Amino acid sequence: MTVIEVDGLHKRYGNVLAVDDVSFRVEAGEIFGILGPNGAGKTTTVECLQGLRRPDAGRLRVLRLDPTTHQHEVRRRIGSQLQDSALPDRLKVWEALDLFSSISRRGPAWRDLLATWDLDGVADRSFASLSGGQRQRLFVALALVNDPEVVFLDELTQGLDPGARRMAWDLIREIRDRGVTVVLVTHYMDEVEALCDRVAVIDHGRVRALGTPRQLVESAHSEVTVTFTCHEDVAWLASTRFVDTVHQTDGTVVVIGPGPVVPLVAAALVERGIVPEDMAVRRASLEDVYLDLIDRPAYSPEDR
Amino acid sequence: MRLWVRLTWVELKLFVREPVSVVFTFAFPLVVLVVLFGVFGDRPSSAFGFARPDDYYLASYMAVVIAAVSLIALPVHVATYRERGVMRRLRASSVPAVTLLSAQVLVSLLLVATGAGVLVAAGLTAYDASLPVDRADAVLGFAIASLSFLAVGFLLGHLARTARAAQAIGMLAFLPMWLLSGAGPPEDLLSDGLQRVAELLPLTYAVRAVREPWLGHGSDTTALAVLTLMLVAAGGLATRRVRQL
Repeated sequence: MTVIEVDGLHKRYGNVLAVDDVSFRVEAGEIFGILGPNGAGKTTTVECLQGLRRPDAGRLRVLRLDPTTHQHEVRRRIGSQLQDSALPDRLKVWEALDLFSSISRRGPAWRDLLATWDLDGVADRSFASLSGGQRQRLFVALALVNDPEVVFLDELTQGLDPGARRMAWDLIREIRDRGVTVVLVTHYMDEVEALCDRVAVIDHGRVRALGTPRQLVESAHSEVTVTFTCHEDVAWLASTRFVDTVHQTDGTVVVIGPGPVVPLVAAALVERGIVPEDMAVRRASLEDVYLDLIDRPAYSPEDR
Repeated sequence: MRLWVRLTWVELKLFVREPVSVVFTFAFPLVVLVVLFGVFGDRPSSAFGFARPDDYYLASYMAVVIAAVSLIALPVHVATYRERGVMRRLRASSVPAVTLLSAQVLVSLLLVATGAGVLVAAGLTAYDASLPVDRADAVLGFAIASLSFLAVGFLLGHLARTARAAQAIGMLAFLPMWLLSGAGPPEDLLSDGLQRVAELLPLTYAVRAVREPWLGHGSDTTALAVLTLMLVAAGGLATRRVRQL
């Protein structure tokens, strides 16, 4: 079942075209990633889907409803974690859950949410005193307070240390395991690789690529690089099936070709009695693909 | 309704947990009033238009409580909500803007009334001050002054870029008005120049709207008109601003 449909979404702020013809679909039960650099139009896209902004053009459907005209119905059935959205410093954890659970008649009792998201111990603590990881758990609990069918998580792991990020990933998988569709906005590639079933790469308001993380990697960089040490001349490898190029310098051999090249090269070597100990295979990562896709230098010293 | 009650209760708790707001709403007016009672006593004086200084100041400080809640507590609170994305978060959960606004108005009115009540209780028990002469008119003046100042407080909270800016602007508005509007030295003791400045300060009108009927001089219709105008202007601008969010 299709949970979200976006067709030709456009949104302009003054002179800036934030979203320029974005289209994608999200299926029930998946973790869908929206990946892109800062300012790519990711947040604007999900804010339109949550009925927080009115699109200039395009057709949006969330749970078969138009979020622009059926704001309340849509918001009742979705959960939100907004970018840069915090709680008052002196609000206590239980008060936040109690307040947000009183918004909707659906959903579990807030005391159950405390237990589910391991917030029992900090129920009486103020928001300001929580650690980054505890805040994320509270935000996740608040996003699930109305028992939503879809949740939008916008930069949930921003500013977390690596350990807390891994824990946040577990939280996201847990949400999906409860049967909730997750739309994950992020600019971290490892997050997409670890979590997302499918991903849309957005840059300058346009979808640059759409598919599973694996599809993206394969479509953009089908080549793999095989490296090993061998002091015999192995120029003959060039005639092995699928091998594109062979380089050998000072005993280091680099073979490049599409995916099947790995077992074929290995088999050919073994057949000739060559068994290298350090054979390494490098596939293009999502990061390579991403940096190719987005339209800006990977690093420029003038960037702050 | 359930949501509105929770929201109002949470708003009230958050206010009570904010030391600056509590100090300026409850402690500051009480302490200053006690000092003024001690300095000027209860003998009617020409400097106070032949009123008793304790009555004069007790009446005036009703308006100081209004200004403290409206200019110091409220703008910081509202600006913090905006700055931290609390408003956006509530909106994403379908909390209508009017639910939040009405909860905040109710809490603010409750605080203004409580702060004023503390002063009246102190003035009547520990000192020999008297209740208003024209009670209904004094209450009316108090109500209009409260609403118009709260509207200004909301507007300030929505216009300030950050909570820190809101706090600075609020303090900057509050302190000179407190000194010059009749809650500091009696108006007649101010120099001509300062008196002219005082005529431009909104708090002067809030003070008069409560004090004139309190001392038995009847309603100050000019003051009520100025305050009503302020309520309409600031309330209208603040509402427009909230709608744009």
